[in-house]
Amino acid sequence: MMPMNHLRRRDVLLGSGAAVLTGAAPRQVQAAATVLRVSNRANPDGLDPATGIAGSDHVALYPIYATLVEWDYATLKARPGIAEEWSFPDPLTMVLKLRSGVLFHDGTPCDAAAVKFNLERCVNEPRSSVKGDVSSIASVETRGTDQVVVHLKLPNTALPLALSDRSGMMISPKALASPNGVVRNPVGAGPWKFVSWQDNARIVLARNESYFKPGFPRIDNLEFTIIPELNTGLRSVIAGENDIVFRVEPPQKVVIDRAKNLTLVMGPTLYVHQFFLNLSHPPFDNLKLRQALNYAIDREAFNKATMMGLAEPTNTLLPKSHWAHDPSLDAAYPYDPAQARRLMAEAGVGNGFEFNVLGYPDQTAQQRQEVLIEQLGKVGIRMKFTRASVGDSSAMYFGPEKRGDALLAAWTGRPDPSSSYSQNFAKEGFYNTGHVQLVPEMPEALAAAQSSVDLDQRRETFRRVQKLVVDNALFCPLVFDPEIDAHGPRVKNYRPNLLGKPKFDEVELA
Amino acid sequence: MMGKRVRLALRRAAQVIPVLILATLVVFLLLHLVPGDPAVTLAGENATEEHIAEIRHFYGFDQPLAVQYLHWLANAAQGDLSHSLISSESVRTSILQHFPATLLIVGLAMLLSIAVGVPLGILAATHQGGPIDTAVTSLASLGVALPNFWLAMILVGWFALQLNLLPATGAAALTEDPVSALRHAILPAVALSAGGIAEVVRQLRSALLEVLSSQFVRTLYAKGLPPRLILWKHVLRNVGVTLLTVLGILFNRLLGATVVVEAVFAIPGMGSLIVQAAIAKDFPVVQGVVFAMVLVVILTNLLIDVLYSMLDPRVSV
Repeated sequence: MMPMNHLRRRDVLLGSGAAVLTGAAPRQVQAAATVLRVSNRANPDGLDPATGIAGSDHVALYPIYATLVEWDYATLKARPGIAEEWSFPDPLTMVLKLRSGVLFHDGTPCDAAAVKFNLERCVNEPRSSVKGDVSSIASVETRGTDQVVVHLKLPNTALPLALSDRSGMMISPKALASPNGVVRNPVGAGPWKFVSWQDNARIVLARNESYFKPGFPRIDNLEFTIIPELNTGLRSVIAGENDIVFRVEPPQKVVIDRAKNLTLVMGPTLYVHQFFLNLSHPPFDNLKLRQALNYAIDREAFNKATMMGLAEPTNTLLPKSHWAHDPSLDAAYPYDPAQARRLMAEAGVGNGFEFNVLGYPDQTAQQRQEVLIEQLGKVGIRMKFTRASVGDSSAMYFGPEKRGDALLAAWTGRPDPSSSYSQNFAKEGFYNTGHVQLVPEMPEALAAAQSSVDLDQRRETFRRVQKLVVDNALFCPLVFDPEIDAHGPRVKNYRPNLLGKPKFDEVELA
Repeated sequence: MMGKRVRLALRRAAQVIPVLILATLVVFLLLHLVPGDPAVTLAGENATEEHIAEIRHFYGFDQPLAVQYLHWLANAAQGDLSHSLISSESVRTSILQHFPATLLIVGLAMLLSIAVGVPLGILAATHQGGPIDTAVTSLASLGVALPNFWLAMILVGWFALQLNLLPATGAAALTEDPVSALRHAILPAVALSAGGIAEVVRQLRSALLEVLSSQFVRTLYAKGLPPRLILWKHVLRNVGVTLLTVLGILFNRLLGATVVVEAVFAIPGMGSLIVQAAIAKDFPVVQGVVFAMVLVVILTNLLIDVLYSMLDPRVSV
């Protein structure tokens, strides 16, 4: 009884906020105002898309910032965003044709000049965290108010999908010029406008009446409650205090199934649990030992023990539903401890070997570590774990220190697969922490994957890249995390996406 | 008498500064001794060595530790607790936004501990050895043994999810919506107070038994005074100091214990603030929260000391 009263009071209050923001008659807006309340696991590390770093920020960034390019939820194929079309008249030129009349929340136009300003900022801003995504850009010019010509240093057909990510999130140049910047006062052209953000507590957004997609968003106000503990987030939805919780852990599916007022939404994601390997020194500079590691892991048993059997075991970075997935690699590394032992014997370490791994300290990560210690121990592979937080272990492993032989973590995926493959397996790739290239054909294969425009051609080029990675066991993937979301009875039309970072502009409330 | 109390308060207040410096220095050193470079984390992926060096210089991480600490201390002394490295929010603003929620649940838990613990303690002491005493002391043992996060989840299951009587998560500002704020605080406070009630019961019972067996009480009984009068007028006054000590320790302990309970109830309080900041190596936020918590703990101790001297004039300066 009381929670309902509480909701209505809050709805009315937020409705009043929307009325003020939109200039609509207060009575009308109060009556119609709808608010979607989302339990969000992470407090953003800032709302400036070009300088933030956390993958979890996107859920709060997408509603505020429209992107130049968008993607299909199920397959991640590129589709129009602020740019209604794009083309490559030659391999070193990309032309973006923009929608006309797109406005930022502050009323300034999101035109060719604004896009040029934003892309140049991604390239030149000292604090830019997206320099890797736009490193192929040589210069940007405008043609009129609705065309942007991007000149490239090298062919990069992955750029359109890169522009569906942080670097394609357009920020109002006027807001960037203000002394406060946009880290805590974001101004984009997305479906909702920023209202307030209390650290580790709440982010409140209100409908952007001038959003360029007619009829969207379907909901007046969007409110994120920051609840780091996923069990608590799920309880808040069961109690009706939030409407949606996303990316809960597999063991919590049972709780969702039992709750009568919840709808379970599941799907695949690009988020893959894996060992990142340092290929520059022993033991993983040795192909046979890398292959032995891959053969020694029973991915199905790992899935059952740590993911309730809900995850998708894998040998690559692309799940089955992805447009560039290659089914011929699905059985590349079956569980074969005998083969693992044979390979170790051929490498001269018949009794097994030991390596140093960095891993996370939370309970579910430790559970994954325990299962792997057990599985690898059976063939004589021994792991010495150093546990540190996500930020610390990443900084220690990928940063200048280059600590450890491997990192047991996850790759969260990128909209375009070539970003994933080049960042992990190119010699200069940030996540190829040893910065060595053990596969002579790889640079050419990666370049080919970034040169072709046609999707079928790209699929073929990725087939080659994936095969090179798998044959050379350049990493050791385990399983794709399942998307497990739950929403209350009011929520309609909620769809997860393959990137595992929900968008809410299509969601309706009953 | 008044001058004595003022001197006591001033003397205790003078101890605040070295304690504050020591506490923040220890936390500062601990944060910097943990492996990992925040500049690398802040620089993001694809960062070059130059970019990392720029970040390090920008935030002053390239300065000697002593300089970094003194810089922070000098600013803190002027009320500037710096900004979050992660979200750029002013640390002072964050603390002002998060402390009320924590203080509310701790305050309510203290009230519950006193309101339930004191009568039960008296009941147990005045019925020593009987079934009431056994029941109360058993309950108190259970209260000490129960993990508050477990109790919190049981309470949420029953009162929020099944019966829909109280909210399962969140908090409201006492100044904006007192009724909602109290409704949100009830379950966390009950979960927190289980240990507090047990503590008060056990300490009060043993203190009362000690006073009840003392010679002056025997004399009062011999004089024919009614037991009720002896208890309320003479015995309870003598256990006031013990009770105050217990409450002081309890308040400080509950401030720390909120970390877990805040996580279970998704309360945006000081506990959740410091946990998230510590995980992210957000030095200024951790330093600021510790500074604020230590200040509150010291002020509580100061208040308890002054109250001691009021209850027991023998407490010396």
